[in-house]
Amino acid sequence: MGLKEYIIRRIILLIPVALGVVVLIFALLQVVPPERRVILYLTGNPREMKPETIRAYIHQYGLDQPVWIQFAIWLDQLIHGNFGFSEYFGEPVLDGLLARAPATIEIVLYAAPIIILVGIWAGINAAVHRDKPFDHASRVLSVLGTSMPSFFFGILLSAIFIATLKWTGPGRLTFRLDAQLSTLRGLGQWHDYTKLLTIDALLNGRIDYFIDALKHLVLPVTVLVFINTATLVRVARSSMLEALSKTYIIAARAKGLSQKEVIYKHARRNALIPVVTLSGLIVGGMLTGLIITETVFLFPGIGHWAATAAQHFDVPVVAAYAMFSAVIFVLANLIVDVLYAYIDPRIRLG
Amino acid sequence: MKIPEKYQPTIKEIKFILRKVKDSPLSLAGTAIVAAFIIIAIFAPILAPPQSYDPYIIPSDPTLGYKLEPSPPSPRHPFGTTRLQLDLYYGCIWGTRWAFQIALEVITATVAIGIILGMIAGYYGGIIDEILMRFTDIILAFPGLILAMTLVTVLTQINWKTIDAVLLSIILIGWPGYTRLIRGEVLRVKNEDFIEAARASGASDLRIMFRHILPNTIYSVIIVASLDFGGVVLTTAALSFLGLGAPAGYADWGRIIYDSIGFVSGGLRWWWSWTIPGVFIVLFVLGWSLLGDALRDVLDPLYRRK
Amino acid sequence: MEKAVSDEIIRVEDLYLNFYTYEGIVKALDGVSLNIKRGEILGVVGETGCGKSVTSLSILKIIVPPGKIEGGRVKFNVKGKSYNILDLNEPTMARVRGRYISMVFQEPRAALNPVYSVGDQIGEVFYTHRKEEIIKAVIEQLSREFERSTGLKRRVCRLYLSLYETMLKNPKSLRVRLASKIPILRRFQNLMKKEIRKRTVELLKILRIPDPERVVDMYPHELSGGMAQRCVIAMALVANPILLIADEPTTNLDVTVQAQILVLIRELQKKFGSTILYITHDLGVVAELCDRVAVMYAGNVVEIADVATLFKEPLHPYTQSLLESIPRPGKPFTSIPGVVPSLINPPPGCRFNERCKYAMDVCWKKKPELVDIGKEHHVACHLYSGGK
Repeated sequence: MGLKEYIIRRIILLIPVALGVVVLIFALLQVVPPERRVILYLTGNPREMKPETIRAYIHQYGLDQPVWIQFAIWLDQLIHGNFGFSEYFGEPVLDGLLARAPATIEIVLYAAPIIILVGIWAGINAAVHRDKPFDHASRVLSVLGTSMPSFFFGILLSAIFIATLKWTGPGRLTFRLDAQLSTLRGLGQWHDYTKLLTIDALLNGRIDYFIDALKHLVLPVTVLVFINTATLVRVARSSMLEALSKTYIIAARAKGLSQKEVIYKHARRNALIPVVTLSGLIVGGMLTGLIITETVFLFPGIGHWAATAAQHFDVPVVAAYAMFSAVIFVLANLIVDVLYAYIDPRIRLG
Repeated sequence: MKIPEKYQPTIKEIKFILRKVKDSPLSLAGTAIVAAFIIIAIFAPILAPPQSYDPYIIPSDPTLGYKLEPSPPSPRHPFGTTRLQLDLYYGCIWGTRWAFQIALEVITATVAIGIILGMIAGYYGGIIDEILMRFTDIILAFPGLILAMTLVTVLTQINWKTIDAVLLSIILIGWPGYTRLIRGEVLRVKNEDFIEAARASGASDLRIMFRHILPNTIYSVIIVASLDFGGVVLTTAALSFLGLGAPAGYADWGRIIYDSIGFVSGGLRWWWSWTIPGVFIVLFVLGWSLLGDALRDVLDPLYRRK
Repeated sequence: MEKAVSDEIIRVEDLYLNFYTYEGIVKALDGVSLNIKRGEILGVVGETGCGKSVTSLSILKIIVPPGKIEGGRVKFNVKGKSYNILDLNEPTMARVRGRYISMVFQEPRAALNPVYSVGDQIGEVFYTHRKEEIIKAVIEQLSREFERSTGLKRRVCRLYLSLYETMLKNPKSLRVRLASKIPILRRFQNLMKKEIRKRTVELLKILRIPDPERVVDMYPHELSGGMAQRCVIAMALVANPILLIADEPTTNLDVTVQAQILVLIRELQKKFGSTILYITHDLGVVAELCDRVAVMYAGNVVEIADVATLFKEPLHPYTQSLLESIPRPGKPFTSIPGVVPSLINPPPGCRFNERCKYAMDVCWKKKPELVDIGKEHHVACHLYSGGK
């Protein structure tokens, strides 16, 4: 089967899962009684509404109807972007998500490449220099990385670098600069081109903001990288060791290729194939890790948003984050599967 | 009908396992760490006598008043105290017991569900298998503790106790993994000759599943379960850290850190209040990881041996 | 390095090799000695584990860890000079492998990298060992193109020409390396790739691979065993090596395909004039293909003779038992009693002593040396070397 058919088949298999995700969340939400649940459909704060209004809404959105009708109505609302209202944050859920997404995207933008590049590099070199100091060191670090809870590592770094050394602080910017930002916007001296502070700072020609934003990104990115690289290193290492033990490696040497060529041209490409599949899981790991990391550093991204909402039992936000994560995770795995099929000719040409 | 000899562990193989564990320093370390934790958990009531009806409530020290600021380690409080003078030593000791309790409850439940569903899916195949696989796919589509978090949030809305909600949630996100694992193993073993023989001699499906197939899937379950001990504790700690786990003042490592979070801004000044419980978590997970790896190294060749 | 002697290409002298494993030290090669003469097909027979593959890899100085050479020499005579392969450094060996000595492996699809096309892998050898020739051919083409063209095309030709000429004179030149990284400029390498592809296809034709234009782009898993093996043989022959080592090349193939490959090997040997070291456990193949044959047992060469002599007058008890155990109609099955000794704790003296029906006291005390009985028939057995 060719690549195209493979992609189509995978996408088709994806649909029941995506639907199932939504159904599961819906099922969970059904646990909540209608008076509380109606908030999932509102665009305004129920606290400010009269009981009759709320009852009217309950009727309008069919919360007194059979389950399947409710599901259809709810699904319809989702498609139209109505994820409900967040009581704790006092805003529509979708707005909350969109407002905080850029912060998270910025962290991921820096963390993901580092995780992938460092993880693969470390794993492959550990395999090439097996049982030598580099190998032992990276294995120790990766075992630590998988055993250490991300919040503990985060707190540790926080205590050292924020509280003691005062190199950086919580949030995205130092308080002073952050306060100034709204003024700048008002004066038209700051344009939010991408909403990513580091990039926008450069585009607006403000090096001071650039450096400040970067400093605030260092610690959250470090935590994410440390925790997620660990698994990648282990997999890359064992994958490379396996590739190096194959007959075609000896055959390549027998052809007169240098050690370097044999390792990097022949072994590595084979070793990378299973590593690619793991990258999908890394995305999942990050989605979870973000919740904690952003909370520890009070970084105003969607992870912190979901965590705070959970702490205050704000159901719509948590449900939205759950669905959002699931969709991203599933998409990531799809992309990874397609990439895998593309890279490995045995699968591509079947 | 007896399980064929080559699949039955004998005394010789147990000795072989012990020898291999002895040979690797990392395996030894892992075993030692886990053993230490087990001892702490068992002897908790002696090491730290409980002072209220629920032993998991950390006592605070009246002689120090109800000061908010943690007190440093001292002979009376070997690990120091945290907010409201809760004794960390007590918290960490009973925290060990608590960790084991949660881990055991969760793992027993998830393994049991996994065995039953995995066995059914793998053995009977067909539409039951398809449906079960779709279910696991859906649950596995949610990364890590996100689904658990959602469930806890929802259940607390209808007045469940957070601990019960946490338990249920972690079981919910845990059973698909074991189901898939066991299903895979069942598929692998299903077509072996000795299963054919058992069927030919009239053994019932149930008998085949539990007397013949199950023992051969045990090894991988053991390996995954031992790694899972660490995993479950990490997830619980994470939920507690977010305030969604054990209630205030409870002997749960994650919760202690949550209660101590304010003191992080003091840098290393009140280090004991959050470092010590954190180290407990790291060591616990590390120990089980190393043990799991060691078991894998030992059981894998045995287990692949045909 | 000394002056070469006679008509020998390779002379292995007292080669000792150990594997340091968790279970103990495996004394895999226990003083292996043999010689390979120019133009001949030398067969090496023995059971699995007797050390035949390890010996051949040692000739290429490919020692897979945890192995280690403990002693001996591997003399390689080429261009009138004699070198000890074990003394040569890696970069030099990389020039020898694939170019002067090359190897064909047992499982063809395992010897090929699954993520590259066979054309790429064969082309790699061209690139590594026949680069100059290829560049010269490209330069010639470019020069002719240069003469004929005008304007932009002419200027591009001149640029490419200068790049290739630099490549020829100074392969590591910075200019060339930079050029191969810059997006559009690096197209100049395509000419070389095309030339290599052309020659690869020609080579595939010589190896009687049908539809070579298509096969060149195929991946190893798409080929049948026989086709894959032909490609591996093609890879080994690219640089026209003096010595071709074939390690059980037909063992994993169907019998009919096996016959085809054998015919092919014989043809190629005549055509290219290569010397072949043919490793196998199949005496039938030896009888059909080889000129001389060496018999190995448990890390030693126990007998060497030309094929006719060996089959007519086997001297070593092991050889005799081997020949006897070849199934023949009307004869009951026989096998050699006992098992191959452990190489971690080999018995003292001759390693065949436990299973030999002629074993004498001395066979348990002293290891027999390989002795020339006459007419180049060598045996390592106390029966013939005046044991006490």
